[in-house]
Amino acid sequence: MRDTRPAGSLSNAPTAPFVFATAQYDSGDWDSAPLVPANIIDSVARYTSLPVRPQGVTVPLSSEAVFGYPLLYLTGHLPVRFSTRETDVLRRYLDRGGLLFVDDHNHDVDGAFNKTAREEIKRVAGPLVPLPNTHELYRCFFVFENGPPTTSHEMNGWGDNLVHEQLDAVVKNGRIRVLYSNKDYSSEWSFHPDNKRFLSVDNTRFGVNLVVYALTR
Amino acid sequence: MSIAMRPHAGTSHGELLTRIEQLRGALHALRRGRLVLVCACVALMVMVVGRALTVVLPAGAWSRWPVLWLLGSAAAAAVFWRRREAAPDLVQSALWAEEQRHTRPDFALTTAVEMLAAQQEVPEALWVAAAASLNSAPIAAAMAAQRRAAWRGPAAFALCCVLVLMVGWLQPAPGARAKTDARSITGKTPSGTSSTVPALGAWQVRVQPPAYSGLPAQALGDVNSVAALSGSRVSLQGRGAAPTVELQLVGNDSIRVGRAAPLVKTYEGGWETSVLAAEAPLTVRLSRGGRTRLLVIEGRPDSIPSVTLDAPARDSVFREPVGVLPLQATLRDDIGLARASFELIVSSGEGERFTVRTVTIGAMQWSRSPLMPRATLRGSLNLASLSLLPGDVVHLRAIARDAHPGAQREYGSSETRAFRIARPAEYDSVAVEPAPPPEVDKSLLSQRMLLLLTEKLDKAQKRMARPEVLRESLKLARDQARLRLAVGDVVFQRLSGESSAEHAHAAGDGHDHGVDLQGGKLSMSTSSTTGMLEEGNDSPVIAINQPLLEAYNAMWDAGRALEQGDPHGAIPPMKRALEAIERSRAASRLYLRGKPPQVIVDIAKVRLAGKDTGQVTRRTVREPLPSRLAARDARLVQAAQLATRDVSAARDSLALLRAEALADAPAFASALARVLDALTAGGDVTAAFVEARRVLGNVVRTPGSVWSRGVVP
Repeated sequence: MRDTRPAGSLSNAPTAPFVFATAQYDSGDWDSAPLVPANIIDSVARYTSLPVRPQGVTVPLSSEAVFGYPLLYLTGHLPVRFSTRETDVLRRYLDRGGLLFVDDHNHDVDGAFNKTAREEIKRVAGPLVPLPNTHELYRCFFVFENGPPTTSHEMNGWGDNLVHEQLDAVVKNGRIRVLYSNKDYSSEWSFHPDNKRFLSVDNTRFGVNLVVYALTR
Repeated sequence: MSIAMRPHAGTSHGELLTRIEQLRGALHALRRGRLVLVCACVALMVMVVGRALTVVLPAGAWSRWPVLWLLGSAAAAAVFWRRREAAPDLVQSALWAEEQRHTRPDFALTTAVEMLAAQQEVPEALWVAAAASLNSAPIAAAMAAQRRAAWRGPAAFALCCVLVLMVGWLQPAPGARAKTDARSITGKTPSGTSSTVPALGAWQVRVQPPAYSGLPAQALGDVNSVAALSGSRVSLQGRGAAPTVELQLVGNDSIRVGRAAPLVKTYEGGWETSVLAAEAPLTVRLSRGGRTRLLVIEGRPDSIPSVTLDAPARDSVFREPVGVLPLQATLRDDIGLARASFELIVSSGEGERFTVRTVTIGAMQWSRSPLMPRATLRGSLNLASLSLLPGDVVHLRAIARDAHPGAQREYGSSETRAFRIARPAEYDSVAVEPAPPPEVDKSLLSQRMLLLLTEKLDKAQKRMARPEVLRESLKLARDQARLRLAVGDVVFQRLSGESSAEHAHAAGDGHDHGVDLQGGKLSMSTSSTTGMLEEGNDSPVIAINQPLLEAYNAMWDAGRALEQGDPHGAIPPMKRALEAIERSRAASRLYLRGKPPQVIVDIAKVRLAGKDTGQVTRRTVREPLPSRLAARDARLVQAAQLATRDVSAARDSLALLRAEALADAPAFASALARVLDALTAGGDVTAAFVEARRVLGNVVRTPGSVWSRGVVP
């Protein structure tokens, strides 16, 4: 098989470790799921050989430091209103190829976070559209035949009492720029990674797909 | 001019006088001739200078030939009037004649002429000598030589000026040269007709803005580019047969994102078509008989209102949900505002349970006539009316809509302010009892007061007696010493937790804990302190507040000066001490913010327990983006080259380039507009092209599209 890798491709480049970044925004409770980063880092380390930094970082969305992280995680319960500076930085972050993963911690389509975050995302990146469950996001590492994995919070009637079949996304040139979830992965994944041993199936595997997609697409 | 002054043996009195008279006339003519030549030189010089000034100054009415001729004549007349001379008298003429003799003058002729002029009797011997003197003088040769000497310089100068003016006459003036260049540029097109004439003749452009804007229609005449509000109807009317019309929507990098053919109506002797202005630039290309003409329509989107929340100015935490907040927002729109209000989102609950409700207050509406581009929205928020509970959060913002009728029309919104009602148990709530300021802050205040008092004493000491100055200075010295000891208490942090500084030390007393007292000042010990706790010693120093140490030593200097009754000398160290305390204070400030618990994953441990190793899909290198600047630069150069052959085509190319640059490079678009203006005016376009290329090279980009949103031009 002919090697079509260009010179200076990933295998030759110095391997900087992946750093999981949580976006800190002025409004709302950006730190409502403090254990999610550690859990995703644990899963990336557990299932992949990617170099990964053992501790996540919190990056102000108003800082250009976000440009150093390929994946930004944003969550909360309260209304989201980006400041002018945050809007500007986030727009440039997305233009430069960053991936913003937004999760509604309320898992409520009628909630304040869902309404305001969608408005803000539309203002910054464009309207969210449903992401097909056949998208490569669901196959780039683990295979999720039925699209995004459901969460226990969806199943037990919290929030809007809905099981969201699809995630929403802003896609440009075939690449996801913003991924939006009403499934409340922030609650689902917010536990200490040491407790994974009590789970029959690790529910954070989808997080690995997120990281792999952000790093490779 | 020739004077016949031949020697005569028997010359009568009258003849002698006549000959002297002729000589006088010849001399007068010689001088007058030189003056006339000088005046001509002045006139020519004025004209030369006037023409030369047109090189550095813009040509105007003053630089025209008749005006310069008049100016030169006036100058010549002035010189002539100022330097005019009366004709020499007979005696002077006789003297001049005698001076021309090769022998030594005997002044017989001069004396005889003087006596004749005075009507006195001339002795015979004098008469004979005068006649001999006159006859022996080479008057004709001397007159010719003097004429040459007097006229040669001015004549040569005048000739040079005439030559310069003739060269200038043959070379056109700068303005005329520009016109000539423009003519050469705009010369013949390949089809053989002058391209300065519009290909389709003149047209009339009319812009009818959308009805909701309430703006009047505009008749713009024969223009090649028009800026119109998005949704405006741009009408084109012309004479002759109907042309074919092609409409193109221009995107970035020459991407034609749309193409359509608007309808062309014909009527007797003319045609008419109309186009709806979009938010992006449009080009309308009309073709008839193998010739085309371009109209660029710069669609300007109707910006959404810009809203600024003036009051309240910042987020707040309230201990109790009572009180009234005044609200104020400034609203602006490029056309006119329609509705505005304050929007409140009240979030209640905690953990996983939140309830949210939205409240609108202070709603206002404006009519379309007159249009209201600026307004101030005022209102008040009664916190009690919201029935807020501890822990509730109120998000406030102002929103405004304009009169745009679009169903999906966005609204403008301000920044959001958040108000939180504190929970009683909150540690960071306003219920926290105020703590006394730390020692460093108290020292800061005292040191500043001491400094002020010392400066006051320094100014007053000239009017005070020395004992009084000394007494006041000693008071200040005592206060300074007290303060120094207070600062010294916090200079060193010890392992045992205590802090200390100054106490009794003596050389070799074995009392070594890392600090030396040298002449009252503190310094780090150079001896054996290594941080180990030794029996009988104080606990070792584990941290030194370096700025406070500096302040301590400066206070020592200040106190010593004050004790000596020298308040002036104490001021510099006191200032140094104050500045050092401030530095220490700034360095010690801690600003705490909510911090999530930190979990550090043990990667090695996790990976040892892992059962799978992932294979990550290799990342593919994306294709490099097309160099927009390079492409634009190449097109600009092509247009510049085209301008020398076909100005109409060059103008169209530049208009297209400008339309594409409007969105993301307004500076470059503006420079291109100047190039287009220069082409239209028929002037020298080189400078405009050079400027446009420089602007393109510097790439002054705006952070976002000027057409995008929010900015009212």
